Amino acid sequence: MREDTIPKLSKDLCNKMLTDLENARRPVLEAIKCSLDNSRYNPKVGYLTPGDKMVKSELNVASVQKMSRAIFILEILLRNLETGAVNTKRELYYISKGEVKHNPELRPLDFSDQSESDAIIDFICEMMECYREDLNCYANDRGGQTYSNQLVVTEQLPDGTKAVVDLSTLGTSPFQPKNRPQSLSLKAKKKIDFCLVVESEGTANTFVTNGFCKRNNAILLGAQGVPSNAVRGWCKLIQDQLKVPIYFFGDLDAYTLQNIFRTLKAGSAASLIRNSDFSAPDVRFLGVLPEDIKKYDLADYPVKENDLQEARALKKASDALKNDPFFKDKKNKGLSKILEWLLKNKRRCEQQSYFTVDPRDPVMPEKIILEKIKKGDFI
Amino acid sequence: MAKQKITSSSTAEYFSKNLQQVGFSSPTKAVLTTLKEAVDNSLDACEDEGILPELYIEIEKVGAGTIKNTDLIRIKIEDNGPGLHIDDVPKVFGEYLASSKFGRGRCSRGQQGIGISAATTWAQLTSAKGARIITKTKSMRQAVSCLVDVDVKNNKGNIKDKKSINWDRPHGVSVEFVLDGRIQLQGEGGLITYLTGTALVNPHLNLRYKLLDQPVVKVDRVSDKCPDIPNAVEPHPHTMKLGEFIAHSHLFGRSTLSSFLKKGFSRITENTLQEFVKNGLDKKFLEQAVDKISDAHFKDIFGAIHKTELMSPSTRSVMTIGEETFSKSVRRLGEVDFFSVVTRKPTICDFKPVAIEIAVARLKTAQKVEGDDSPPVQVLRFANRVPLQFDKAACAMVRAIETVNWRSYGLPQPKSSLPLGPYVIAVSLVSPFIKFKNASKETVDASDELVEEIRRALIQAGQRLSRHIKKEHREADLEEKLRHIEQFCPILVDCLCRIVKAPEKRKKAATEGLVKLLGRDVNAAKKQLDEALKHHKEAHAKGKIQIVEKEEVKAEEEEELKAPHPEESEASEEAEAAPEKTKSAKATSKTKKKATAKPKEKMKEKEA
Repeated sequence: MREDTIPKLSKDLCNKMLTDLENARRPVLEAIKCSLDNSRYNPKVGYLTPGDKMVKSELNVASVQKMSRAIFILEILLRNLETGAVNTKRELYYISKGEVKHNPELRPLDFSDQSESDAIIDFICEMMECYREDLNCYANDRGGQTYSNQLVVTEQLPDGTKAVVDLSTLGTSPFQPKNRPQSLSLKAKKKIDFCLVVESEGTANTFVTNGFCKRNNAILLGAQGVPSNAVRGWCKLIQDQLKVPIYFFGDLDAYTLQNIFRTLKAGSAASLIRNSDFSAPDVRFLGVLPEDIKKYDLADYPVKENDLQEARALKKASDALKNDPFFKDKKNKGLSKILEWLLKNKRRCEQQSYFTVDPRDPVMPEKIILEKIKKGDFI
Repeated sequence: MAKQKITSSSTAEYFSKNLQQVGFSSPTKAVLTTLKEAVDNSLDACEDEGILPELYIEIEKVGAGTIKNTDLIRIKIEDNGPGLHIDDVPKVFGEYLASSKFGRGRCSRGQQGIGISAATTWAQLTSAKGARIITKTKSMRQAVSCLVDVDVKNNKGNIKDKKSINWDRPHGVSVEFVLDGRIQLQGEGGLITYLTGTALVNPHLNLRYKLLDQPVVKVDRVSDKCPDIPNAVEPHPHTMKLGEFIAHSHLFGRSTLSSFLKKGFSRITENTLQEFVKNGLDKKFLEQAVDKISDAHFKDIFGAIHKTELMSPSTRSVMTIGEETFSKSVRRLGEVDFFSVVTRKPTICDFKPVAIEIAVARLKTAQKVEGDDSPPVQVLRFANRVPLQFDKAACAMVRAIETVNWRSYGLPQPKSSLPLGPYVIAVSLVSPFIKFKNASKETVDASDELVEEIRRALIQAGQRLSRHIKKEHREADLEEKLRHIEQFCPILVDCLCRIVKAPEKRKKAATEGLVKLLGRDVNAAKKQLDEALKHHKEAHAKGKIQIVEKEEVKAEEEEELKAPHPEESEASEEAEAAPEKTKSAKATSKTKKKATAKPKEKMKEKEA
């Protein structure tokens, strides 16, 4: 969304509310329902899109507090947009506290903890159908540390100037993509063969130190668990601007497949309105695949069902097979088959198990990865 | 062959070595159990003779105990019961399993005749002195005072130091123990908890007690009717085992089998005898004398009886306090805000007659903490009108409370736990055959049928209570809505106007519009409150929920201050019975303050 449209949209919304109030009509605020039951998956589009369900909140005695808080925070955010200031959610929480402190009349609006103000910010985003970054509210940039000897990134700075970063000049230091990747543009100095996204940041680091980027014309990035907006937007950018194949390398377990890989490839139900910019539908699942365990004699182990987190992941996996439109679609049959295999065998295998194949060869995992890419051994 | 000689021991020897099994597992429990056993005996004796019980209890420290960390404690209980004949005194206080109630199938408090002898044994073991008894029956001119010891080897009571004394009362028993123990007043195992509970389920009891150095506390009776303990009914054949069945037949000597079955059991008629025959009972045995029937044949007869479906046992043998009397008694719990009581019709659980009564009361505590932060409710459990104070977790009554969804009645409750809040939930179970989990009678076995029956009673009480809680919630809701309008309307309109840079005229129009809008919501809330008030009033008029109101408190106060004229007392009773008048929220809160002030005054009076 363009920056100048937000203030206009906000003013229109407030004006409509005010007109409704003048006529003693109840203002109704509508937002897209961001949940799995309102998620649609079209294999041609490639990511989760919102359905028709809307969440309506009507002004009444019970909701007047929430609405007053929303308009109060909106005023702060609009002021930020006007001056170009940016804040995190926690900073906004303290700014709101400061406003209340200096104006005792606002005391009824006071937030008792940050979760309350966070919920109001999310509500404003859903109402305006925009990202929090559009409102100059940024999260810290986490994950997505990128290494490449071929990639050049150009960043459009808020003051209108440009910054050009040649990743080959950074040595073994990574490039940190921003939560708002729209301001970045990419260029390849030399033809890039593929992009490898590694679930573990540590393993990605090991690969670089062992010379992965020197031996391959590739982009290597560490996801650092569940991909943040930065990682998701960055992968989308690589996919669209460089048009190189992207492979994901992570653990073989239900959590990785659903929470990490699915979010990277098709976005999440909670972010339905921004999946178009924050998902890379072309990314492929390189492994660990169930057949790799036998093929490379990898060390796997049983899922501890009494472990609450793992039991929850398995439960979620069986739910996903029934309700998640992404796994239900036949285009992703290969992935749902892995989920079924996990549920049936109740075993898991970690990405680092590639190091067991030849414990004395530090680049063995790299060799396996390259072999898999060459043979098309991915989903 | 074993070298050791096989010896046999007396019952008293067994219990003297295993006193922990009958409630003497710690010094604190020893004091409570002694008091409990003596009070049980006194109340049972009074009720058997139709006497309205008057008890005086005195517990004090008289020195240091012989066991580490204990005190030497004197426990004295005096009653106005019929008194004991001197020949019975050693049996009652010094002999185990000597009882007038054993296996009689009545809802009396004591059953086996173990408890008070165990108390004598504890006193004897710890202070080398048994129980000091003073007894006087109606026919005695002078009372007899004596000391009873347990002859452990022979399970017999020995009388010492017997003398005649003058006693200023027509009849009664005074029992005094000096033993090692520790005194706990409050809490689940506390003496005061026990005495309050006892007063609750014995509305006809006049109780005076003096604990340690505290002033004498007087709890007056609220009912002048001595409960009528129903007589036991004949046993039901399906509740017996083969051995019991044969032993029972020995009481009938030469009677024929048909007459033994009809007279010796309940629910057996001529028709049922025919049913037995159909189910394999040989007809020729019916006219045969029971003492001539062999055990093998008894087994066949017993089998045929068990194959036949019989009517459930009669519920006539159980008794209840009754909602009206129970309601009066609840007010003796402390500063009660409002409460509901439920008396269920006697029913059959696990083939035994059972009656359940419930009282749920909200207490006015100094700091009323309601919501998820408040402590769990206080549970008072009673089995045959005796408070149960230990091992509550596995008890049928606690299980039942935990299975009820109290949230729907407005009480916060963590999952599968006791609800939270300043409430007392009293559950009274009356049955001639209560299945306890241990000999010290602290936990009632949680069978599915019993838990379900208690649960139903609790649900009924909860529903009644919820009408009042709902009314309170609605009042709070209305208040909050009014507050919301006052607080948020100007802020919302101000913010909107600032964002769109609206002129003052628009601001004024929007404020008016908003007040109008939210006013509609307030009207709807008022309507809901009116409805809740209506339901509440109806429930109160039907006696389903009771609130301790200003009028009642005043009437009680006046009653206490001046000895009432018979006419006056009638008038005040009428005032108590008068249906509740609907009051505004403010009036209610004023009433609460007034009512809270009153018991404090009462306490001061007592202290004076």
